[in-house]
Amino acid sequence: MKLSNSTTQETNSNINEKYRHIYVIIEHFEGQVVPVSLEMLGEARRLMDDFNRKYDSTEKVVAVVLGSNVRKLCEELVTYGADSVIHANHEELKYPRNDIDTKVIVQIAKDARIIKEISPEYSSTFVRPRYMFFAADNIGRHLSSTVLAELESGLASDINKLVISDLDIRHEHKTKGQTVKYEKILEMYRPDFSGFLWTTILCLDNKNPENLREYHPQGCSIIPGAFKPFEKDNLRKGKIVEYSPKIDQDPKIKIINRRVVKRTIDYETSKVIVSFGRGIKASPEQNIKLVVEFAELLGAEIGITLPLSKKPYQLSQNMDSKYMIPDRVIGTSGSKVAPTLYVAIGLSGAVQHVAGMKDSEVVISINTDENSPIIDESDIFIKGRLEDVVPMLIDQIKKQIAAISLRSN
Amino acid sequence: MLNAAVIIKLEPDFSEGNVSYNSDGTLNRAETKNILGPHSAIACNAAFYCKVKYGAHVSIGTMGPPIAESALKQAQMLSDAEELNLYSDRLFAGADTLATAEVLKNGIEKMFGGNKIDIVFSGHRASDGETGQTGPQTAWKLGYTFLGNVIDFDIDLDRKVVFAKRLISLQGMDTIIEEIESPLPVFITIDPSYRSIFNSISQRLSANTFSKEAKKHSEDYRQYLKIFDSKKLELDPKLVGLPGSPTIVYKVEKIPRAKTSRKAEIVIPSNPNNLTPVIEKIIQTVRGK
Repeated sequence: MKLSNSTTQETNSNINEKYRHIYVIIEHFEGQVVPVSLEMLGEARRLMDDFNRKYDSTEKVVAVVLGSNVRKLCEELVTYGADSVIHANHEELKYPRNDIDTKVIVQIAKDARIIKEISPEYSSTFVRPRYMFFAADNIGRHLSSTVLAELESGLASDINKLVISDLDIRHEHKTKGQTVKYEKILEMYRPDFSGFLWTTILCLDNKNPENLREYHPQGCSIIPGAFKPFEKDNLRKGKIVEYSPKIDQDPKIKIINRRVVKRTIDYETSKVIVSFGRGIKASPEQNIKLVVEFAELLGAEIGITLPLSKKPYQLSQNMDSKYMIPDRVIGTSGSKVAPTLYVAIGLSGAVQHVAGMKDSEVVISINTDENSPIIDESDIFIKGRLEDVVPMLIDQIKKQIAAISLRSN
Repeated sequence: MLNAAVIIKLEPDFSEGNVSYNSDGTLNRAETKNILGPHSAIACNAAFYCKVKYGAHVSIGTMGPPIAESALKQAQMLSDAEELNLYSDRLFAGADTLATAEVLKNGIEKMFGGNKIDIVFSGHRASDGETGQTGPQTAWKLGYTFLGNVIDFDIDLDRKVVFAKRLISLQGMDTIIEEIESPLPVFITIDPSYRSIFNSISQRLSANTFSKEAKKHSEDYRQYLKIFDSKKLELDPKLVGLPGSPTIVYKVEKIPRAKTSRKAEIVIPSNPNNLTPVIEKIIQTVRGK
């Protein structure tokens, strides 16, 4: 039995495909687009332009917006690279709620009538989107999970690189050990928790004759800050499709109140950031105190590396809840920063961390190991134990400050 | 009566002394011990809160190899659970989040003798997989309302309604605390910043009593342990493990070092004076802008 006819067909497969387009699920907040949405659109635009050239097709970047009268925002998305925008307009969609939003997005994903307006050439065969992008944040992470659970397809989270290609796959189950060609597969790259490894996830149809099954859309959630937005082009034309979603009479989740809380950690306006990593391990409590003293002297905000957010040390409750928290992580799985001065103390410089701080103006690092990757991202590398170096820095800075204030008197 | 459940995970122990890294910075899995994941532990605290405050019956479930028993034991110590369930079968190997959620859904439906679970907790995300997808996907398959990033909650037992506060922080935006109301059943993922607070003396007393009991019970945890394979869970083999996973891991590679334009000046502080140029640079940079 022949496993798949895609092994022999190359370009002719275009006509009858059931899966089309990239759907990008847009997030917004009080009428303002969350930046990651534009970054996703930018990446989708680049991927789709290559895709259409390569496969001689006319598939689209489709932005999906749920909201209450946010037409203006939809128009803006066209200038950032969307070919079409589906605007699901309903007052119940004013704020994100997982249950309602999931149902509406699934309705849209399965609705072939919309495709008549977006790309009539594909409307007779359209079943579902080919790819779907969500933001890997508090909203998109969960929304992507429930949408793909309802659509019973595959999802990869926290992606920072995407490639579309044709691949020869041999897999124990997917292909029953045979080599089978898969076309138009989204290679989804995610950095792992160590920051040193990249795992590529694929969402593949089962072509195993004992368990044939199609898995589309190929879904992913994308790390905020990973991709560049498309340069705004006010002359770009696109189609906005007004969509009336079916909404339950009595939504389960009721929002009683929403309030804005002041950020306790502010990396955006900090001129100096002092970060530390596992180099504090000899005596964590003491060393964090040192780092904090040094940071306070410089008026700096404090950051940490990803492994520290996994609470590797026994610390006093106060220290633990103040510093060893995911909110302080600098890197692809935390914040991206660009201060005037970045001081990296006892951290090795995993790629995922460097990605979050490499735009800093001046970088000074303190490390015992000259072979640590952080040296490549440093302007000054102080070779030594932080226990020795940081007190010396504190001492000298205090003296300098005293001298400066004496002079200015 | 409130029936609560927690879904937990056995994870690498990232604590110093237990975690082992290879020289290239990757995790040495063979040398690293496994424990109850820290976010799973917080979810257990939330279930314990339900026990103290509402007299909830607590069931714990996990999918994993037989050694995941140790995580169930730790979870019982934190929650004083009445029931520990291990979903273990070679057929589950290689499962992605969707295939895992399928197992957990059936597991939750069979908890507490098939009594309906009102509230399920899970951790924010696992410290190794870190997808954060399994909780919401399990919730969806169960048909439970999903509430993510919950930092505080209370339950109105008469009305069977949960009030929850959840944290929403989006890139470049102010953080929002959203107060919501939802009828039970719900599936909650607990935010890492959650802390159980027992306000009254009677709550604190009963928390103490349950804690002591929990310790005792967990010493004898096997008595509370039930092991389910795919047959006992009445699972369709095509929906679990590799056959039920839409996604595969195609390859794993080292992330290449980013190109850099910097050339580090190396300073060896054998003498404090060697640091003087560094100090000047720091002060200049901080004051200059």
